[in-house]
Amino acid sequence: MKRLKYLWFKVATFTLLLLWAQQVLFQQAKASQFPPLSPLGKVPEPNDNKTTEQKVALGKLLFFDGRLGGDGSTACASCHVPEMGWDWPGKLSLGYPGTIHWRNAQTIINAAYYDKLFWAGSAKSLEGQARSAAKGAVAGNGEDDIMEARLALIPEYREQFKKVFGDEWPKINNAWNAIAAFERTLIQTDTPLDRFLIGDKAALTTEQIAGKKLFEGKAGCIQCHNGALASDQSYHNVGVPPSSEWLTNPLAQITMRYELYAKGINEQQYRHTKADPGAYFRTKHSAMKGKFRTPSLRYTLYTAPYMHNGELADLKEVINFYDRGGFTKDGRTTAYPATKSQLIKPLGLTKKEKQQLLLFLKAFSGEKITIERPKLPAYQPLFSKNELKEAKK
Amino acid sequence: MRLIVQAKKFKIVVLLVLIINSTLITADNTKSLKANSDTDIALVELGKRLFFDKRLSGDSSIACSDCHQPQHGFTHNSPLSPGYPGNKHFRNAPTLINTALKTRWFHDGRIATNLNDVVREMLTEDYIMNMDMRLMQERLKQDPIYPTLFDQAGLGEPSNGGVRKALPAFLASLTSLQNAYDTDELTVQAKQGKKLFFGKAGCSQCHRGILFTDELPHNTGVPENLSVFLDPLRHQAFLAFNMFMGVSDYMSLKRDVGAHVLTHKADGSDREQFITPTLKELKYTAPYMHNGVFNTLNEVISFYNKGGGKDRNLDKRIKPLNLTKVEQKSLVAFLESLSSPTNVAKQYSDLKQQYSYHLIEKWQEKVN
Repeated sequence: MKRLKYLWFKVATFTLLLLWAQQVLFQQAKASQFPPLSPLGKVPEPNDNKTTEQKVALGKLLFFDGRLGGDGSTACASCHVPEMGWDWPGKLSLGYPGTIHWRNAQTIINAAYYDKLFWAGSAKSLEGQARSAAKGAVAGNGEDDIMEARLALIPEYREQFKKVFGDEWPKINNAWNAIAAFERTLIQTDTPLDRFLIGDKAALTTEQIAGKKLFEGKAGCIQCHNGALASDQSYHNVGVPPSSEWLTNPLAQITMRYELYAKGINEQQYRHTKADPGAYFRTKHSAMKGKFRTPSLRYTLYTAPYMHNGELADLKEVINFYDRGGFTKDGRTTAYPATKSQLIKPLGLTKKEKQQLLLFLKAFSGEKITIERPKLPAYQPLFSKNELKEAKK
Repeated sequence: MRLIVQAKKFKIVVLLVLIINSTLITADNTKSLKANSDTDIALVELGKRLFFDKRLSGDSSIACSDCHQPQHGFTHNSPLSPGYPGNKHFRNAPTLINTALKTRWFHDGRIATNLNDVVREMLTEDYIMNMDMRLMQERLKQDPIYPTLFDQAGLGEPSNGGVRKALPAFLASLTSLQNAYDTDELTVQAKQGKKLFFGKAGCSQCHRGILFTDELPHNTGVPENLSVFLDPLRHQAFLAFNMFMGVSDYMSLKRDVGAHVLTHKADGSDREQFITPTLKELKYTAPYMHNGVFNTLNEVISFYNKGGGKDRNLDKRIKPLNLTKVEQKSLVAFLESLSSPTNVAKQYSDLKQQYSYHLIEKWQEKVN
């Protein structure tokens, strides 16, 4: 009997050992199966919109110009505020006057490296993103004809569009090209992490290096936040709960329903959906419900609050959220449990580990990038009074 | 009242009149009409509330009533209409009184179907109200009052289709009251004016029918309002509009091409033509012409007396009239007799509506 008990003990120990070994091997495999964190490298540039200095200069003006929008009030820079991390500091983005947006504004910094833009990846390029944002009813609410007409009545723009694009009159699509070119200059490639990765081992502290190990191992962050951008640019449901703004803000309730309606879903879904279906809108495939594109971790130090709807106030909360297995402090999680990522599990991080992870996350950001706001050119009448008087009827 | 009774095709107007003049209809009819009428009254009430609601514009800053102000005969008292913020309009806001009796709308006559289409254009055009109607309907659902009003009007829940039924119904209720001309109570001076109007002055060549308009485009050589081109905020709306309407030389235009946006004649002979406006209620709708260049009726008459303006495509009917000062005065007196003795719109001037959104509690459990 005693011998049998001993045997049991041996079997149990062996099994545990085996499991542990498997776990370690798996973790290593996990780290190696994902693209490693790496320096950002050169900013990609589309063949049909090469960056030039003049184009960037024009794009900078346009980025700050509310006349590319419905009522002249809402520029790109209205929601992507340079002084505030090139995004909007509220949970949900500012939105066009009379509305509030329904998602958190993302930072422009390093946006040039994404191959798809917006939380659901609905734009294929920065050029397309600029156009969609300027025209969306709860964003810029602009229309092509009036925006193009406005550009034509600003002599400085006429001159610059002609120089840069060779157009007799400014074309609205070239405005998006110029803005995208400007955005391709808004990059940060010299963070502590980048310096560390290219060989400066002193660029990260011991604590941060420990955090990096957790990032790539126990905490599993690398599974989605990988590669140079620290984003797999893929879509996941990590458990973010529906926006709390929808419970307290009538304008947010309006926008939520509007988006459901405008993005074209069936009546049943329109009536009953109470959470952002995310990438589902692009595919209409139920497996995509509640999934959002992994955001880059670069520059995040300045872009609180976090997640597609800003439900997490700071990076500490983000870490705790993942440590709890995709639950907020009050226990809320995704309204689409069926699609919640299998990768998201309670992590069992110690207080110290969380601190190390937090310190490491800070290594993804360098100095704050700000910019001097440009002085915008003024409208001028196209014709003089005399020219008008002389025109024959 | 004569005007209203003639407009039989406008069911709502007629029904409303019938309710008011219930003595005119038999007891049997009253029942069935009454049932319809309650809904129609509710429809008009809904349209009225919508008309004054700024949230029907993209940035929630202007209502229909901002450019079509009741106290100014449902027009704006500036030569050119204010339009949507960020730009300004390039034409004079026409009166909405009797607009339901027209068969084509806008100074260029570009819509000739119904008020439903006119309302759509007004709400969605970027230089007018710049509204995405999908957003509009969700705004209305969030109002504490609209869901009930839509329901009472038989429209179900607030919808963009419903708005486009209710606003026309409200417009149909904006009709002229009886005026001196209708009741044949013209002053001696106005009677002389009437004779001139239908005779020597030739006004009735274009200003005829119940609304005193043939609803056709004519070139009378109205002087250009240069603000359209000198104010970049107006010019941009003008450019966007002409671009949208497919006028190919829109960037070099120095004149409002009017009905050309519809007919696109290659020789340009259709340029600077504008639809004859109604003369009803014009006492309250100054300034005049498609671009508001004339402040008073005296100026208008003096303009026609000189044979209109200069234009290579001037309508052949426009010739110097050689009216004496006295004749001109009587013509003005006649024109004024075509307006209601009191401003039709007065009843709306004091209208104060409260607009707010309400929070849907327990939103997660509610059906959208």
